[in-house]
Amino acid sequence: MKIDPKTFIQDYHLNVCIQCGICTGGCPVKFRSPLNMRRLVKETFFTADPSQLLKRPELWACTTCSTCTLRCPAGVKNVELIVGLRSILTHQGEVPSTVRDAFENTFLHGNPWGRFRDRRADWAKDLGVKILGEETAETLLYVGCAPSYDPRVQNVSKALVKIFQKVDLDFGILGKKESCCGNEIRRMGEQTLFKKLAKDNLALFKKFGLKKIITISSHCFNAFKNEYPDMSIPVQHYTQVIADLIEIGRLKMSKGLETHTTYQDPCFLGKQNMIFEEPRKILSPIPGLNFIEMDRSRERSFCCEGGGGRMWAEGATEGTRNGEIRIKEAVALGAKVIATACPFCLLTLEDAAKISGLTDQIVVKDIAELVSEAM
Amino acid sequence: MNIAVCVKRIPKTAEADLFIEKDGKDIKKDHLVFHLNDWDSYAVREAAILKEKYGGTVTVLTVGPEESKEVLTRCLAMGADRALRIEKPISSDGHLMAKILAQAIKNQSFDLILTGVQAEDDGYGQVGVALAQMLGLPHAAIVTHIEIDGERALVRRELEGGIEEVLELKLPAVLTIQTGINEPKYVSLAAILEAEEKDMEEIHLEKIGLTPNEPLDAAIDQVFFPPVGKMAEILKGSPEEVVTQLTEIIKKKKG
Repeated sequence: MKIDPKTFIQDYHLNVCIQCGICTGGCPVKFRSPLNMRRLVKETFFTADPSQLLKRPELWACTTCSTCTLRCPAGVKNVELIVGLRSILTHQGEVPSTVRDAFENTFLHGNPWGRFRDRRADWAKDLGVKILGEETAETLLYVGCAPSYDPRVQNVSKALVKIFQKVDLDFGILGKKESCCGNEIRRMGEQTLFKKLAKDNLALFKKFGLKKIITISSHCFNAFKNEYPDMSIPVQHYTQVIADLIEIGRLKMSKGLETHTTYQDPCFLGKQNMIFEEPRKILSPIPGLNFIEMDRSRERSFCCEGGGGRMWAEGATEGTRNGEIRIKEAVALGAKVIATACPFCLLTLEDAAKISGLTDQIVVKDIAELVSEAM
Repeated sequence: MNIAVCVKRIPKTAEADLFIEKDGKDIKKDHLVFHLNDWDSYAVREAAILKEKYGGTVTVLTVGPEESKEVLTRCLAMGADRALRIEKPISSDGHLMAKILAQAIKNQSFDLILTGVQAEDDGYGQVGVALAQMLGLPHAAIVTHIEIDGERALVRRELEGGIEEVLELKLPAVLTIQTGINEPKYVSLAAILEAEEKDMEEIHLEKIGLTPNEPLDAAIDQVFFPPVGKMAEILKGSPEEVVTQLTEIIKKKKG
């Protein structure tokens, strides 16, 4: 696939930029890297030689949280500009070695960490979960890479299975047939690999005659809902499913979790897909749980820095990580639990709690884990 | 500068669960994914870098089944100009591999022939040096740096204990390339798809005066998992307790 910088102005609406700077103002990595979105838009618009822009390491600092694009009063597609620039770098092979490995691993093994495909469903071994192909179900729980392989996030997958089994929800997983959704792959610039993953996954979905897909990760949710071509199967994030189950009275939470809990809105669930209410509708009815809201929440939620390929592109940033800032904010608010609904938020925030030495004051939990504890 | 690079398609086993075939002579491979041998990937990248500097062409060769074309395609996407697949013999060893490659290369004019130091799967490390011997060319093994000065190559090679040796070789020469000699670029899927359009030469062993049933010097008798050793100590307890125990052990043993 050829990416032509000459079409950038048209493709990403660079000519409508009024240089107001709202993009830079809202950028969660503006204090952590030289990335200045307003300036980048202007420079890309005026440059005769885009190759000079490509040499900047800060292109990898962007988390693609999309705050800039969503707030832009003129309609500039800032995040797509970053993805476009990264796509050129990818085509030239000039990506950080960690990103290169993530691409190659995804191509070969179906996950960015290069873990063995046959072990993708090991976490579900003794849980009595249907594997599609061996048994049938109309609802797919699309697990995703981190919830399949990362020992911390596997807890979330297990909690979710426990919840669904409790309410007799008929569902299956793809097991080792499941491949990466490609959400981060596209944002790191490997558009062709993303298309291949989408094509392969869609063929699988079609083959099993699915009526509904539930995702664990907000990133997979975003890819299926907004970026897969010809996606005709309805997709829900698990928080939507659980909120519905609570509302219709099918899921009851009776055990008390006496704790002050706040919530980190994941960018790919919240600001990008406007799912703000469901996570709160799940947390609030948990007996004894005192829900407190952080100042920067909902559309203004502060990105944890785990998105846009940042899980595989360390560097290009300096100073205190956003996760640490966020954990300190939550502690200052008096929260004993910071809940989230995204594997990357979970991992970055938990790392941040450890780095800040605050693990005795706050714990990081996924909403699914809290619900499973409260059932 | 015309360069030949000999490459191999190997199964990726680092993270995989391995099982042994019924006859006990190989591992099962049907559940594994295959890729370009890591050392060869550095060799192909090095050839592409030398081509950028000094001009010429890069030819990649492999001895392998039909499926090996996928690694040749990858090499073409990495900057190789020509690709040749030689059908594999019924069974082989390092010596026979070198013989096949020597027969394929000997009538062509190359200034430099590169191989990886070894293959990730069988790890013999023989083919490069045996090939040099058969072609009657000077060679250097475990090469970590290459400079070309007219008719000569100045190379650094890795020795034991972190020592490096600098050698001057008369071209043409055979070099076996160590990982880390360069930073391999990412080969995008788009580039691979484009390379699939390029021509690839495929020949049978008869074409280079050999048969599929050449005699072997070494044949695999048995493969097995190493017996479990007794030296390992598994630390038990919470992460904090385990870390305390571990630091005590390291403190004790460091002197």
